[in-house]
Amino acid sequence: MSELLNTLMKDARVWQGHRHNKTTQAAEPTGYQALDNQLGGLGWPRGALSECLLDALGIGELTLLMPLMQKLSQAGKTVFWLNPPHTPYAPALAREGIKLDQVIMVHTEDKGDILWTLENCLRSPVTGLVIAWPGKLAAREIRRLQLAAEAGSNVCVLFRERHYAEQNSPAALRLDLVPDDQQGLKVNVVKRRGSWPGQRCSLAMTHRAGLLHHESPRVVQGPWPVAAR
Amino acid sequence: MLWLHLHFPHLLLDHIRHSGESVAALVIVEGSGQTVMQACQTARNLGVKVGMRLKTAISLVPDLGIVRADQPQEARILEDQACWLYRYAAHIVLVPPDGLLAEIGSLQRMYGGLPAVWRTIEEVLHERQLTAWVGIGHTPLAARLIARNGLGECSSDTGRILQILGKMPLLAAEFDGRTCTRLQRLGLTTLGEVFNLPPTEMARRLSPETLAYIQKIQGARPDPQASWQPPHYFRQQADFIQDIEHSQGLLFPLRRMLAELEKDLCWRQQDTDCLLLALQHRHGEPTHLRIRTSGPEHRAEAFLNLISLRLEQQPFQAPVTSLRLTVKRFLEQEVPGGQDLLGESQDLNEAWHTLMSRLQARLGDTALTQLSPKPDHRPERAWRTSEVRPPSRATTASADQLPRRPLWLLQGPQPLTETPKAWFTGPERISGGWWDGQRVQRDYYIAQLSNGQLAWVFRDMREGWFIHGWFG
Repeated sequence: MSELLNTLMKDARVWQGHRHNKTTQAAEPTGYQALDNQLGGLGWPRGALSECLLDALGIGELTLLMPLMQKLSQAGKTVFWLNPPHTPYAPALAREGIKLDQVIMVHTEDKGDILWTLENCLRSPVTGLVIAWPGKLAAREIRRLQLAAEAGSNVCVLFRERHYAEQNSPAALRLDLVPDDQQGLKVNVVKRRGSWPGQRCSLAMTHRAGLLHHESPRVVQGPWPVAAR
Repeated sequence: MLWLHLHFPHLLLDHIRHSGESVAALVIVEGSGQTVMQACQTARNLGVKVGMRLKTAISLVPDLGIVRADQPQEARILEDQACWLYRYAAHIVLVPPDGLLAEIGSLQRMYGGLPAVWRTIEEVLHERQLTAWVGIGHTPLAARLIARNGLGECSSDTGRILQILGKMPLLAAEFDGRTCTRLQRLGLTTLGEVFNLPPTEMARRLSPETLAYIQKIQGARPDPQASWQPPHYFRQQADFIQDIEHSQGLLFPLRRMLAELEKDLCWRQQDTDCLLLALQHRHGEPTHLRIRTSGPEHRAEAFLNLISLRLEQQPFQAPVTSLRLTVKRFLEQEVPGGQDLLGESQDLNEAWHTLMSRLQARLGDTALTQLSPKPDHRPERAWRTSEVRPPSRATTASADQLPRRPLWLLQGPQPLTETPKAWFTGPERISGGWWDGQRVQRDYYIAQLSNGQLAWVFRDMREGWFIHGWFG
């Protein structure tokens, strides 16, 4: 081996693939077998940040979290929603089997308050899951949240826009969510700590609206004029 | 009966010293601001004397801290002293402006003798950094005279008490001026000589009131005392000589007041969830702060954290001259249950309350909400928000009967601007609200928009298409 390579090998800053040990990190199953398989059989990491990157609501992003939320709220853990963009609809949540008195909505405008709230929720032992729509975040601020997440052992999912996928982020898991043609959700792993990115899977999300995709649409009678359709 | 009198020679001075910052020299001036009424040790060392003109005092000590005496304030401070004394003695009488009387004859057995009672009181006075002269007497007036002259002795013997009183000069015995002059003209100099006069002669020559006074001191005439009852609230006030401009400056007096509150709550065996803080300003309306905890609490540290969070959020409008803490709401103390013997399981209930109190203190009471379904057919009325409550153990009824609904509901219906690319189920007609004037008549469909979003759309009676929710 050349001398140059030898010096490089001794440099601690150079990461060497074969030295990599498979880390066992605490995780919560997502409730979707296909997605769990892509995430090393683990699921949502605990004590770390996860990011979901998506552009439009209503593609099944909450349904992705429902099994976890149901499990944690039933287990007596508190679930925080920080600055949801619309009203989470209580009857629908109750129908999903979520214990609503464990679900707490937090609304705050101020950027400093958002970070402070997230940090406090993440550090507390009562919290099970925090889902947040934090808006624009600097890498330094995500780092701060990541440290707070490490102090607790909760699942924290941040919903952000897709163009942030190009920015790097200290989050342990980053998922890119796009709708597929059959009302399902295509999940693309942008980053996963301790593994290579690039896994993809497609989850059927038709159950969120009570649809079965092999069934023909059940519209009884269109009240609209034919031209407008 | 045996009485103990506490005479506070400079109560206001002690109170101000307590409130926080240390000023080199401090005097209390009378209402008109002319003469010095009380002077602290530092001021006295610098040559300030009680009764001196204020101008003279200022020329002696240029950076003198000056506080004007205020009668209601003094009465309030005296009552604060009665509050703590009530923990040691049951029968207390306020002797304004600067004395407290406690019946201690009945306490001797409990504390194990008079010396133990005396020691307890002395220790408490020392702990509270209060200057008080203690006197014991067989009558209220005897105890008062002994205390005010600083002749207190730890003795319950009536003969000894009368002996001490007998040596007391007439001027110290607090007769009114005319009687005192007349007694002196009779050639009497000490109280003992007055005691020896025959009562009938005294009543005839002097006045029946003087005789009554003498007999009350001696114990020959009953002197009933109305006992003081502690208030049903907690109140503490700190007054500052120099205005406080930053919230940091309040933390020191607050810490002391909250420690006092913690003691009081422990003593009451109660908790509270609401503190009222009033910040007085030199000009303008006082600022009122209401500090809520999400559950019953008594620890000073927890209150202090919440208050400092709140003060960070809400800067002062003006410098603060005094601070008052009031607690009016008392709750039963919660007994921690279900813990294992070694305390290995974390008390999650407490952690929950701590977290919620912190969030509410910083974000405001309205920032945290909980959702619950409400029985109504109209989607926008089928849910409600409520204040955060501790989670109940009861399992909620199964929600299978609820209809299929989207997870996101828009704040209000938004016009549908594009033609959906696919239609799924529908229509579901929702018609209602004729009973309260909010009439709704809509046909709901589930449809997919061109960018993949699954929407809950409706057409209302007036032929408009709207999006009402997203299947998130």
